[in-house]
Amino acid sequence: MRLPGEVADALLGDLHDLYLDRREHQGRARADLWYWGQAFFLRGAALRRAARRLAWVRPATDRTRSGRPFTPSAPMLMTPTDIRYALRRLLRSPGFTAVAVLSLALGIGANTAMFSVVNAVLLRELPVSEPHQLVEIYTSEDEDTPYSVSSHPDYLDLRARSESFAGIVGSRTTIMRADLDGAPRVVFGELVSWDFFQTLGVEMQLGRAFVEEEDRTPGSHAVVILGHRVWTQEFGASPDVIGTDIVLNGRPFRVVGVAPRAYTGSMPVMVASFFVPLMMTNEIMGSPQLARRGTRAMFLKARLREDVTVEQANAELAAVGAALEEAHPETNEGHSFTAVPSSEVSLHPEVDGALAPVAGLLLGVVGIVLLIACANLASFLLARAEERRREIAVRLALGAGRQRLVGQLLVETTVIALLGGGVGIGIAHWTLGLMMSLQPPMPVPVDIEISIDRAVLAFTAGVSLLAGVLFGLAPALQATKPDLAPTLKGESVGAGGRGRRTLRNALVVTQVAFSFVVLIGAGLFVRSLDKAQRIDPGFDVGPAALVWPLPALSGIETPDEIRAFYEAYTERLLADPLVTSVGLADRLPLGSGIQTASFALPGVPSEDPDGEHDIDNATVSERYFEAMGVEILSGRSFVDEDMDGPPVVVVSRAFVDRFYPGESIIGRTIRNRGEDHRIVGVASDTKVRTLGENPRPYVYRLQGQATFFGMQVVVRGEGTSAQLVAIARSALDEIAPDIVLFEEVKTMDQHLALLLFPPRMAALLLTVFGTLALMLAAIGIYGVVSHAVARRTREVGIRMSLGASAREVVLMAIGGGMKLVFVGASVGIVLAIALTWSISSFLYGISPTDIATFVGIPLLLTGVALVAAWLPARRASSVDPVSSLRVE
Amino acid sequence: MPKGEHLGDLEELTLLAVLRRGPAADGAGVRGELAEAAGRTVSISTVYVTLMRLEEKGYTSSWKGEPTGRRGGKAKRHYAVTPEGRAALEAVRAVRDGMWAGVPDAADA
Repeated sequence: MRLPGEVADALLGDLHDLYLDRREHQGRARADLWYWGQAFFLRGAALRRAARRLAWVRPATDRTRSGRPFTPSAPMLMTPTDIRYALRRLLRSPGFTAVAVLSLALGIGANTAMFSVVNAVLLRELPVSEPHQLVEIYTSEDEDTPYSVSSHPDYLDLRARSESFAGIVGSRTTIMRADLDGAPRVVFGELVSWDFFQTLGVEMQLGRAFVEEEDRTPGSHAVVILGHRVWTQEFGASPDVIGTDIVLNGRPFRVVGVAPRAYTGSMPVMVASFFVPLMMTNEIMGSPQLARRGTRAMFLKARLREDVTVEQANAELAAVGAALEEAHPETNEGHSFTAVPSSEVSLHPEVDGALAPVAGLLLGVVGIVLLIACANLASFLLARAEERRREIAVRLALGAGRQRLVGQLLVETTVIALLGGGVGIGIAHWTLGLMMSLQPPMPVPVDIEISIDRAVLAFTAGVSLLAGVLFGLAPALQATKPDLAPTLKGESVGAGGRGRRTLRNALVVTQVAFSFVVLIGAGLFVRSLDKAQRIDPGFDVGPAALVWPLPALSGIETPDEIRAFYEAYTERLLADPLVTSVGLADRLPLGSGIQTASFALPGVPSEDPDGEHDIDNATVSERYFEAMGVEILSGRSFVDEDMDGPPVVVVSRAFVDRFYPGESIIGRTIRNRGEDHRIVGVASDTKVRTLGENPRPYVYRLQGQATFFGMQVVVRGEGTSAQLVAIARSALDEIAPDIVLFEEVKTMDQHLALLLFPPRMAALLLTVFGTLALMLAAIGIYGVVSHAVARRTREVGIRMSLGASAREVVLMAIGGGMKLVFVGASVGIVLAIALTWSISSFLYGISPTDIATFVGIPLLLTGVALVAAWLPARRASSVDPVSSLRVE
Repeated sequence: MPKGEHLGDLEELTLLAVLRRGPAADGAGVRGELAEAAGRTVSISTVYVTLMRLEEKGYTSSWKGEPTGRRGGKAKRHYAVTPEGRAALEAVRAVRDGMWAGVPDAADA
């Protein structure tokens, strides 16, 4: 039954009215839902007239307020009928739908996963109240290090003297030894000022935050707030944990609170297990650091008072900085303070700059993968449009509006895209789970927190809709302008499809070109990883065990005790027949962190105003060179007698080449902290910070007092690394069973693995994305060739009846597809050469136009493309000439 | 009944609902009445289709109201029961009553 226009109007009016009623009483979301339910069930004849007038987004109250009648423009229409129609059509060809949804889902999934990582590291806003009021306060040491950490006395002075802030809080991240259920373990924790959580506006999950009393006198209040994750994982989320004691660094701490789930610590991604008041710094760190103005290790955050701008705050900070400089010249000369809005800082102002290109690269690569997936979608749609052109021609001939048809086709692609987005989120969720389970070979177990939050969901929804509309539009426009006459007459070989085929071909060319670029990137990273693994680090990478004890955290505190421990350990190790040498060093080459000291080199001018050179260095034992496999080129190594004599050093060959080229070096002295050090030997170069670096000047000092982080022990010997690790462990169990290790005893290979982790991850990710791109492009090639074969059945039949062999026919079909591949690959080469310079800084030892990569990848691509083209082309040979001529 | 047309169950209830709403009943009101008084939840389009069918049979008449902003610029449509409609309802009721008159009480059965 057909409702007259006026009645339909009244009906829509009622719907509207009821909608507004519901919105007032039940809220927007439920009202929307109800409205669409009603619209969906508009029955029969009423539906056709009335439903079309429903606006897609919502009843258009606002639109009509201006007095214009309620008639949304045609392209805005997406009626329930259209959606049902689209779903029916998609369900009718499940194969097509599955491939289209899946290929989009892969593209969207890769994007969602990558965006989640970038979001977690760089974009996510701190879960605090009024984050826009927060600033980070850094100590500026000089022009090169404007954003450095601050000391506790400076922090207290800043708090006392500045007026710009409603509060300044400090935190210091450190490792702690936690004895939970008897098993000692090294965890990340933070030392925080008492008002840390209050000022940030972080509410405790349980218990309370610290109070001022607990942060007034050093060492007086051993209280702790648990991180949410440690609370759930180690304490079963029990509320009874409040008031109990846990042991941190051998000392009981009373649990007073549990941090909320949303707040995981002051560093993004890294999850803090414990929060302890700053006044416990000395106890946690094992040395009196709190009162030292020169010990700078704290990050400061402050909340601006409402009427204060960042500029005003910075002016005041400069004044306080100048006053402190005057009052404490020995520690604060040249130091000042800088505030940066927290919203502009992700990890650290300087690190952010380095991370952005990496994030850009990864997002760019997954973006390309998505483009390739979208091109597949568009290509499928074009093929379908061809199949449906008679239907569409009929509808056009019967007077259907083109806009309306385009709208309907767009609904179809949007539904595909949204389905793809849904499945993509699933894929991303799974991928992230996998990524988080891949523990990077870091010394301390890192809890990585990457989740799919609202920003990620918005990103995915946006990407999906954009993909659906953008890549659905061209095919839809193409589909709705067929030449009516030939189509209706039933001719399949006509000019009508040429535009579509050109478009499809262009899409395949684009896909091939883009996947070529991604594959080149993958190839370069894989080659670079291979090179990196072959780089000679300058020391013996053969079997060895590396032990990193932390005596300071294990009750071994005085220098004598520490020295005795290392001597006993070395002796016990050497007693094993397999062990040939044992060396100690406070920093191993290619280890984490950078360790430099200032040296005055007589006769060598420096750009620094103090005339000194910052040089990488390590403090080592007499037998370090032997254990590490570092050669002494001239002079001598350290000997026992050096321990009691005047300070001596061994320098690296690069040191000589850089500062005293061609001169005799043995016997010269260099100065550190006002003390002369005599050079007794020259050692061969090793890589110090990274594998890719040029030889770096290096100074070896003889073992002095061990630092907080202890000396690392290199155990070299015959046999396998595993045997040496076992020996190192059992020796430790014998002489110091309770000793805390910075990390598990590891092999030399594992030591290098941390360094190779970034190139390995890059190679892995790029290979995964490259493979994905290649697969998607192969699907595209398959589709085009397959479709060409189907379309040209009659032509093939004619050729075969005229005497063409099956082989010739297949080759013809493959040739058609491969032509596109070659065009695409050529474009890809140009693009790749233009783009790969941007990743050159990430590559070890190969140029961004590495010949092997640029030869190998085209071969791989051609091979895969041949298979993708051959599979459907085979069908051409099975064409029966007689029946094919009857095909129409 | 003028045309001897059958009055369906929902049509009967709808007519009663229009009567209960008084003069100038509208679709939404009728729908509410059906839900509250008769316990029948029907979609808004069903209400209108039914009202239209009744109008075609001559049992209701309708006229256009004033458009309002709250209704998205749509005019309301008001419905009233015609004398024929009233007569049809009475007839149905008479038939029902007659039938009921011959039904023994549950207690007697």
